Formats: sequence, structure tokens, C-alpha cells
Amino acid sequence: MTSPVRALCLSSRSTKSRKTPTVRSPEQSQAMRAVMGFGDLKSAAGLRVLNEFLADKSYIEGYVPSQADVAVFDALSGAPPADLFHALRWYNHIKSYEKQKGSLPGVKKPLGKYGPVNIEDTTDSAAKNAKEDDDDDIDLFGSDDEEEENEDAKRIREERLAQYESKKSKKPALIAKSSILLDVKPWDDETDMAKLEECVRSIQMDGLIWGASKLVPVGYGIKKLQIQCVVEDDKVGTDVLEEKITAYEDFVQSMDVAAFNKI
Amino acid sequence: MAVEELTALEKCLGLKAGKYSSRAQGSCQIPVLQTNKGPSLAGLATIASHLVTQARKEELLGKRRAVVQQWLEYRTTRIDRLTSKEDVRTALKDLNSYLEDKVYMAGNAITVADILTYYGLHPFIADLSIQEKETYINVSRWFSHVQHYPGVRQHLPSLVFIKNRIYTNVH
Repeated sequence: MTSPVRALCLSSRSTKSRKTPTVRSPEQSQAMRAVMGFGDLKSAAGLRVLNEFLADKSYIEGYVPSQADVAVFDALSGAPPADLFHALRWYNHIKSYEKQKGSLPGVKKPLGKYGPVNIEDTTDSAAKNAKEDDDDDIDLFGSDDEEEENEDAKRIREERLAQYESKKSKKPALIAKSSILLDVKPWDDETDMAKLEECVRSIQMDGLIWGASKLVPVGYGIKKLQIQCVVEDDKVGTDVLEEKITAYEDFVQSMDVAAFNKI
Repeated sequence: MAVEELTALEKCLGLKAGKYSSRAQGSCQIPVLQTNKGPSLAGLATIASHLVTQARKEELLGKRRAVVQQWLEYRTTRIDRLTSKEDVRTALKDLNSYLEDKVYMAGNAITVADILTYYGLHPFIADLSIQEKETYINVSRWFSHVQHYPGVRQHLPSLVFIKNRIYTNVH
């Protein structure tokens, strides 16, 4: 965790002040949204995640026993089963610190701040919320008592959420697109090229935009249609296009991709 | 080698540097410490225990001294005589299964057994590939833990253990 958050937590603890500043920088609020946890630590699946997590670690955080270990230890309903030996080893080790529990370094954080990323903590959600309410350390938005402050914090949080959401929603706008130049060849010199072009342009798909076209003489009075189009890579493939165009078999003899450029 | 380790252990314990020499015994070099008063002491395990007592850090000898002594002996009789790659692999495999349910070698606190085994294994662990380190996951965890214990590492280079495991199907 970033030190400012820790400092904030520490100060709120030492002074018991309820007027801790509530403004956080965007990256902090984003870091806090990073999903971490072991899933439900009271379930077998959660314990397996914990076991896997502890395979190459002696402690939940760092190289000394800390409040992180205590927090997770307390969340367990008992010793893990023997087949989860990593979890059991850790459990027994932390148990040996039982008497010094309170004096271990660090600040207790909600369970969702520990463990592997991308797994959400679901241990006893109701109990956790209750704990969060009376625990100063994880009172990250400060001031539960004062309505005004609370609303302020809420508003800021919502603003940040909205900001984050909008940022997120903007991202997928970067869709991979390609510009394709197609060569469509008729059967003979008697094929109606205007009709052919009309047929091609009549093909409509999501993520397909037709562009400029021209007739290019091939020889013996035969002309081929060269037509530009822009496609979204995820939605339209050249094979699909080819299939649709050659479906007009009265006019189209064959179709080639003359050029393919990523935009 | 052994003398260097003992000097590192002295520093780790906060003792002044003692006078060491080496004596050849068979194919091995045995460290000898000349104490101020009394006779000289020979042998890694003996000197290590002496240093710990000297530094008044008896807790490093562990609550169960026999277990600690056992690992000190293992260190001198086994780890120090590892020559072939095959030997190293067998030893690491043994240690790996021993450390499966342990955080430290003996009990729930660091002891000289951990420190000396760490010193002894350092050159071997340094030679391991990432995949091997993950195969001996319990040894790796223990090793990385001990090397981060304040004061223990001294002059030895810190070895890198990848945090995100790559070969997750190996245990």
C-alpha cells in the first residue's frame, strides 16, 4: 500500500480524529479499487486460494509477521485442513504469535487488501461491513458521524467513480480497424458493372463502411471494380466479406483483397 | 568459506571479529577459533554455538536445542559435502519436504540452524534455474525469508525469487 494511506490511517488512529481529510489522489482511489482477497476464507475454495498464495511466502505481507497476518488469521474459522499444508504451516506459525498479536507491526486493513490480485474478498460480507464500521483503521473515507462530512465524502467518491468509469468507457473506443482495398472481378465484358457495384454496396454489416470505388480496366474491354472499405477487425473478417460478395454469382466471378492496412 | 561464514555470523550477532584459522582434516577445511581465554575451538557448529552464547542471544539456539544441533550437524556432515549435482538435488528435495510445514528450521523463530543452513546453501541456490527454484518451492520460500531477516545476509548477494510463479503445475 502507498504510504500516504498508511499515514492517514495512522493519524486517524492516534488522534481519534474524525476530521481526517477525505480527498485522495486519483491513483490512490484507483489502487483501492484493485480487487484483492482470497474469496470466502470460510469456504474450502477460499482456503485453497490462501494455500496457493502462501506456497512461496512465509507471511501475508513482507518478511515479518504483521497485522496483515492477524487479519487473515482472525478471518479463518479454524485451522486449515492438513492437505492444504502451506496454509496450515502459516496458520500454526501465526498461532505461535498469539500472545504478541496486538504488538505486531502494521495496520490492520480489510481482508480485501490482502492476497492475490483479481480475486475478490467475500468472506462474511455482512460481518465485514459491521467490522468496518467500528474500525478506525479502515475508515478510509473518514467521518462517519458527521452527516455533512459524510455526504461530502460520498459525493467525492461518486465523482471519482464516475471519472473512473468514464475513463474506462473511453478506453474501448480504441477499436482495431483496418482499411481494405478489394478487387471484384466480373465474368465478362457484358457484366453490368454499375449493377455489380450496387450489389456490393448493398452488403451491410455492423462495423463495415464502404468507401470510394473505381473501375480499373483489366484488358479486352473487361473492367474490374476496385472498392475501398473500412472494417472493425473484431466484427468483420475478410472471409465473411468474400463470402457475401461472391454470393452475387450472377455478376461476380471472384474477389481478391488487393491491400489490407491496419489503421 | 567456513571462516567467512563465521565472520558474517559474528557481524550478524554484533560481536567483534575473532581470530580464525583453518585446519585441514581429511579433505575438509575446518575452521578454528582462538578464544581469548581457554582453548581454541574447532568446527563450524561448535564455534557457531559458542558465538551465540558469547553474544548472549541464546534464543538463537532455539527452544529445542537438539533440533537446532541436528541441523547444525546436517550442515557440516551433509551440505558441506555436496559435490555432485545429483547430491544437491537429493538434499534440496529432502529439505523441501522437511520445510513444507515449517517457516523456520526449528520452532517458530529464527535460529542458528537457519542462518548456517542459509550460508551453506547459498552457492547451490544461486546456481538453480528459475524452474528449479519453483520445484523446491518450500526451500525457496524459506531461503527468501531468511535472507530478508535483518542482519543475516551480510556480504552474500541477495538471490532473486520470482514472485509470480511461472510453472504453477509443479509443486
